[in-house]
Amino acid sequence: MTEVKLSIGYDEFEEGQRIGTEIEKLSSSPESSSLTSLIIGDWGQAYENSSEEVVESLVTHSASFPALRKLFIGEMGYEECEISWITQSDLSPLLPAFPELQSLTIQGGNELSLSELKHDKLEELIIISGGLGKAVLEQIATSQLPNLRKLELYLGVDNYGFDGSLADLLPLIEVGKFPKLTYLGLKNSQIQDEIASALANAPILDQLDTLDLSLGTLSDEGAELLLASDRIKKLKALNLSHHYMSDEMITRWKQSGLPVDVSDKQESDDEEDWRYPSITE
Amino acid sequence: MMRKTGVILPSQSEPLMRPMIVIGIPGDKRTSGIQQARSDLGMPPAIILSYAEFLQGRSLGDLMEEQKKQIPRQSSVYNGVDLSAAPPLLRLESPGSSFEIERAIIALGAPDSDDMDDSLHPFADRPDPRPLRVKVARQLKEIQGVLHHPSQWFRGYCRMLARLQREANTACPGSLWLNDPTDIAAMTDKRQTQQILSEAGIPIPRPVGEDQQPTDYDSLREMMLSRRMHRVFIKLAFGSAASGVIAYQIHPVTGAEIALTTVGVEDYITRPPIYYNSGKLRRYTDTATISGIMNWIYQHGAYAEQWIPKAGLKGKAFDIRQLVVLREACHAVARVSPTPITNLHLRNQRMSLSEAGLSESVQEQVRNTAVQALAAFPRSGVAGIDVLVSGGSQQCFVADVNPFGDLLYDVKYRGCSTYEWEMKVLSARDYITPPSTPLIKEGLS
Repeated sequence: MTEVKLSIGYDEFEEGQRIGTEIEKLSSSPESSSLTSLIIGDWGQAYENSSEEVVESLVTHSASFPALRKLFIGEMGYEECEISWITQSDLSPLLPAFPELQSLTIQGGNELSLSELKHDKLEELIIISGGLGKAVLEQIATSQLPNLRKLELYLGVDNYGFDGSLADLLPLIEVGKFPKLTYLGLKNSQIQDEIASALANAPILDQLDTLDLSLGTLSDEGAELLLASDRIKKLKALNLSHHYMSDEMITRWKQSGLPVDVSDKQESDDEEDWRYPSITE
Repeated sequence: MMRKTGVILPSQSEPLMRPMIVIGIPGDKRTSGIQQARSDLGMPPAIILSYAEFLQGRSLGDLMEEQKKQIPRQSSVYNGVDLSAAPPLLRLESPGSSFEIERAIIALGAPDSDDMDDSLHPFADRPDPRPLRVKVARQLKEIQGVLHHPSQWFRGYCRMLARLQREANTACPGSLWLNDPTDIAAMTDKRQTQQILSEAGIPIPRPVGEDQQPTDYDSLREMMLSRRMHRVFIKLAFGSAASGVIAYQIHPVTGAEIALTTVGVEDYITRPPIYYNSGKLRRYTDTATISGIMNWIYQHGAYAEQWIPKAGLKGKAFDIRQLVVLREACHAVARVSPTPITNLHLRNQRMSLSEAGLSESVQEQVRNTAVQALAAFPRSGVAGIDVLVSGGSQQCFVADVNPFGDLLYDVKYRGCSTYEWEMKVLSARDYITPPSTPLIKEGLS
């Protein structure tokens, strides 16, 4: 597998470098024909400029990347741009441009759209965001992705653009929507308990290997329902890490013998706010 | 007689070993670390003079005489050389986290202090906001983490350094400072540090406003937007250990702002807010809180610079603490953080530079940059240099020069701890040259 990451830093962007030019350069290089994975990092001050140029350029040059199977749009850390400030765009033109694509990862939910979400071979769709809009959830719910095996959504919080509710998620977990789905991640959510309660006995669990409800605000309330569910017991992996469960609940999970990750317990109170003296170095 | 304070230079002339006098806090981890290292190396112990007693008004000469009496004469011989024969090497330590000392320093910086020698204060003419008189300063109560009047603390600190320098000249003529008080003052003030580094041609993150720095929240925002520098670090000019550091960004389109900082605020209706160091990073997005913190920091003195996106590893970012001892880079540690602020006490991870994924050539660049940074302070022999490696181009920038940056645990260099290495290097070489001598190659002095 060959993988390339393209990224434009702050200074480079100020000096006039553009991501479109970098993509064009890559497309005319000898390695483009065998490239299987392409990561687009910061396209240049992504809090101000959208990924539109990335999409246009990739679509224009898609024929130069016949082997491309994995695409990541927006792999950048907080050192480059806050996730909640990354400006995306309509990424769906990428799908017909890369008919052999198997995996698409998107980071950043602002202005994100997947207006025509149709692809015969896509197996993996991951959207990492601080807050995913319900319009995108609806686009996923009405998508045509018959081969999708893994769906992982970081739903986030309303401060950063999550404007949906449980009702917007229910169409995603209907049996038959994604017939081949084995990995479902509805994570990083402020309504993690509600999601847990909706999933605890959802028929879709029968087709899943992995359920990922990590990084959210899961508490004993949601955990209790999951633990009581027979359908949960058939999973090969249940990820509940980064949660607000009590010690007692953690112990019950550990004693359950289920393949569950209950690490990274969060404290909801402010006790961690210890203070330190100012002059110590 | 020529004053031999100042430039420390290794040379290969006759080894001249000196006794070491440390002004510090007896029994704290720094002074104990030094004594342990000396004892392990078979060296006579350093003479430890108490910071607190010096600040209470005892003279350096008095304290020295008292300590000398307690040390048996024969123990001053090391490798057959009588260390007491040479004038001493003076080493000032960090005032540490002692509130007693902090309070005494703030009192020394008072407008009615009996010592008004501001000669080492790089910005002495800038008034300190709402200064506390000696009597009030002496009554300050310890509230853990509270940032008691940082600018007055720094003024007092510079007065203390000036007094140390004066008294050392008379109490022990011919003595040398490992780090000269003038340099310590300059390193402790980030505005001055970055100016010195910049003039020496050392790469530093670009300041916000090259000629004139912003003076408050409003002017900072204006400069950031007009210069398209949307992400900056703002630092209390004389903070340490992430004290008063803010990673700040403005969204150029929406005007939204995010400030990540360890500064916490306690607001009151009837009196000014209290600012303190919180043990965890806080994230503020409301203008009222952000402008309150920033204006308070700017009143005391602040420095703002470009936020260089740091090199990272698995979604975390890091910077490098590189120790330099007498023009040689030695111990180094990468401080890896899930946040933009990398100081170790914020539960950040430590790694070797190779573990952090830096190539040998970048590591070499880190070392060279750090050595050059210390060379910009020619009267100093030891400092921990904070070096940023940019994520994209892997270029090195100096973010900070810590005169007491050698308290690094569990890091070895050629099998030595930091203090062992320092003691070995210091005892192996002669480091006297006249103050005006430019840096020259070994053996040419």
